[in-house]
Amino acid sequence: MTNETFASRLERFRLRRAGPIRLSCYGLSVGLLLAVWQVVGNDFGILFVPFTKTMRTLVALVADGTIPAALVVSGKIYLLTLLIDIVVGISLGLCLARIRWFGGAFEPYVYLLYTTPTVALVPMVFSVFGFSTGPQILVAVVISVFPIVFGVMEGTLSIPSQFLDVADNFGSSESQLWRDVIVPYVTPFIMTGVRQTIALALVGTLVAEFFLDTVGIVGLLAEGATEMNPAQVLAVTLVVSLFAIVLVGVGELIERYLVRWRYETVG
Amino acid sequence: MALRDRRLTLARPAGVRAGEFAWNALPVFTGVILLLLWEVGVRSKLPAYVARPTTIAAAIPSVIVTAGFWSDMLSTCGAIVEGVAIGSIAGAVLGLLMGRVREVGWFFTPYIRGLYSLPLIALIPVLVLVVGYNDKTRMVVIILSAFLPVAMTTADGARAVSKSFLDVGRTFGAKPYQVWFGIAFPASLPHILAGIDIALGRAFTSAVAVEVLASVPGLGYTLYADAQSLHDDVSFVYVVALAAFAILVRTGVRSMSGRLAPWYRPRARA
Repeated sequence: MTNETFASRLERFRLRRAGPIRLSCYGLSVGLLLAVWQVVGNDFGILFVPFTKTMRTLVALVADGTIPAALVVSGKIYLLTLLIDIVVGISLGLCLARIRWFGGAFEPYVYLLYTTPTVALVPMVFSVFGFSTGPQILVAVVISVFPIVFGVMEGTLSIPSQFLDVADNFGSSESQLWRDVIVPYVTPFIMTGVRQTIALALVGTLVAEFFLDTVGIVGLLAEGATEMNPAQVLAVTLVVSLFAIVLVGVGELIERYLVRWRYETVG
Repeated sequence: MALRDRRLTLARPAGVRAGEFAWNALPVFTGVILLLLWEVGVRSKLPAYVARPTTIAAAIPSVIVTAGFWSDMLSTCGAIVEGVAIGSIAGAVLGLLMGRVREVGWFFTPYIRGLYSLPLIALIPVLVLVVGYNDKTRMVVIILSAFLPVAMTTADGARAVSKSFLDVGRTFGAKPYQVWFGIAFPASLPHILAGIDIALGRAFTSAVAVEVLASVPGLGYTLYADAQSLHDDVSFVYVVALAAFAILVRTGVRSMSGRLAPWYRPRARA
């Protein structure tokens, strides 16, 4: 009997105090991470450092301009990659879906390239193009472009045929068909692809910097690793994590904003 | 073939409709053209060591009889299968807990979402310092690259279990373990499998990356070493082997999704 009342009281407490419980769960989990990091860092030896030392190194690296300079180099690769992803991804996806012979001819090869682990193709890119910024962006694009390609292709192929038939019966020209049916219908699919690509372009940028020319933010990571300087490695990893989380968040916000009608009607 | 069927329903006729045979031959035809372009392009413009289809084909017989090829293959593919299995099971268990018990979800969300956003390749230098230049680092990275997506998708799936299923279970007096294994787990199964598909894609990339960056012997390491000593044709045989294994495993998981959860029809491929 007491058991049951306890259980039901606990249940009521969980429901009534959901907000504070949620906040304390978040706080507890982050606090625990930092505490464990601090304790382990103090005892681990020379290859790992506590959180406080990492933060001091981070502040020093930002203040002397090392991290900002590296971010400019990596940021350039990242933004160019993203831009090319969007342009190439949307055009390729539309062509695969709307041009029948093109889709039939190239779709299997697009899948093949997508399934092949791209990192394995980097030596080939190196042999053919060398290791400057251009090949780096090529590698980053091959890693990150596919969510947009497949998103656009799936979206365009899933346009209900009634829509196309209606447009056809009212004598839509191809340009009207695109403006009034295809583009509005496909936009949410494009945005889902763009959101995933925003995250993958970061992976692509890092892979390109790791494997072709160790510059930018990866240059700092590699330097810290080879010089056995854990404070620098951890500080730069923190910066990368921060950027990754912010970029993913921004991607989600953009998607929500551009296709807000979808959330409104379904919600 | 579902894709092609849907393409046929589009209203716009695409010029002259080719016959069925010509349609099936089309990808083969483009394949031959692509290979020819590659062969001719490399032959006329690039140095002799750059791999082209004929040199790769010539290298295949001599590479696959070496013991090194098979031990690399076993080492890397074995590590991927083992790591993805461990990571997926752990991810599914944590994901179920996160999805069904709110407090557990809140506690782990910062870690799972944060680490999931972070490209794992950025963690390799830290792991190399902590774990060392050995195949344990590779195992940790593969497990992580499977664990995170499976935990994410499973949590989403378990959270979205239809309320009416749970109500029916409660009405018929289902015990907690029956709710967990009879309702929540099967309902999340398609999400778990979708997570494993993402996991495999990431695991292949991570495995190759970690082998190169932490000098762990395996397919990826040999592939890079061969390319560096200008044996691009040998290197590409490794690429083909790796890609073949990747396609095999991922196709297997996708077909399993249809077998194990036939009621589930995803609207669009992720």
